[in-house]
Amino acid sequence: MDLIGLVQQIEASPIGEWMRTSVKAMPVVESVHVLAIAVVFGTILIVDARLLGLLDKRRSYGVVSGELLPWTWAAFVVAAVTGFLMFTANATTYYDNTPFRLKMLAIAAAGLNMAVFHLFTGRHTAEWEFAQSAPRGGRIAAGLSIAIWTSVILLGRWIGFTKGYDFEIPEDVDFDFLEISFNSIRELGGAAAARFG
Amino acid sequence: MLQFAEWLQATPFSVAIQSAGWAIPLIQSVHIVMIGIVFVSVLMISLRVLELVRVEQTFSDVWRRFAPWIWSALVVMAATGLLLVIAEPIREFTSLSFWVKMALIVVGVAATVVFRRSFAPAALTRHHDFEFSAGAKVGAVAMLGLWIAIIFLGRAIAYDVEVWGSLSLAAGTR
Repeated sequence: MDLIGLVQQIEASPIGEWMRTSVKAMPVVESVHVLAIAVVFGTILIVDARLLGLLDKRRSYGVVSGELLPWTWAAFVVAAVTGFLMFTANATTYYDNTPFRLKMLAIAAAGLNMAVFHLFTGRHTAEWEFAQSAPRGGRIAAGLSIAIWTSVILLGRWIGFTKGYDFEIPEDVDFDFLEISFNSIRELGGAAAARFG
Repeated sequence: MLQFAEWLQATPFSVAIQSAGWAIPLIQSVHIVMIGIVFVSVLMISLRVLELVRVEQTFSDVWRRFAPWIWSALVVMAATGLLLVIAEPIREFTSLSFWVKMALIVVGVAATVVFRRSFAPAALTRHHDFEFSAGAKVGAVAMLGLWIAIIFLGRAIAYDVEVWGSLSLAAGTR
């Protein structure tokens, strides 16, 4: 099956239906998503700061990362599951959304950065883990990691302002106010498309 | 209060933030990055009390490592939060989640300071040979719970009627 077919099927699935119609599902899932992102980002930042030789210099890299990465991975799984649940609600809209695509690319880039680090600098941790900072390769990976994860957060927030919403408009709604927000959403979409598209 | 919100929302500064399409997502992103720093710093201090991380360090060392990050990130959060309120005062002031969140932040900051002060000198300076009391551990978990609640309430501002129903101050106006 092609990708768009799969995306449509996800949106039509009972989970997608539940995410759209349940009143409390979206705020709860989004909150857990933010909490998980906080743990992913915060724990990675501590490990990156150690690689850069900025903090925890008296603790070995092995101890710092060994202690934190299980938390990072557990939180990443939670973020991925809650992110997927949010995706199911409007899968086809997300699929077409530029910031969403860029966010997925950025997460892939973070994974690639991590893989390259483990293949090279990370293979010889015994040689440098007690040093003040990692060798240059490790420091570059740490800098990239901070930059990429920050952009993941930025792109994630951007999705919320560009995705467009497909709920029905209730009757007694202040349309002047809506018009302003729809225009700003459209403007932002245009700006994002002009910048990235 | 609503009059004040309407006035604030019409000020040139508020309008400038609202009309720059990139401003609110950017400010919110900085806010979320700071959430990561504050929450994980609180998490590390709590996990130290629960003896799950940094057991070779004293509580004092762990506190000195993370507390400055909590306070400086909280200052940035207050600043970015204030900008978000200036940009959308009606949305924030009519949200029950917003007011509960503000109250819990005061409680959270006070609880974090009290938590630090409640330890006896021995608890601060010993490491491997020292086990924290059950009370200290419960306090650590409670402090984490408090900050989690603050994060949840922050996200709930966008869903006030959905979360609070008729309790929402925005109920009936939307």
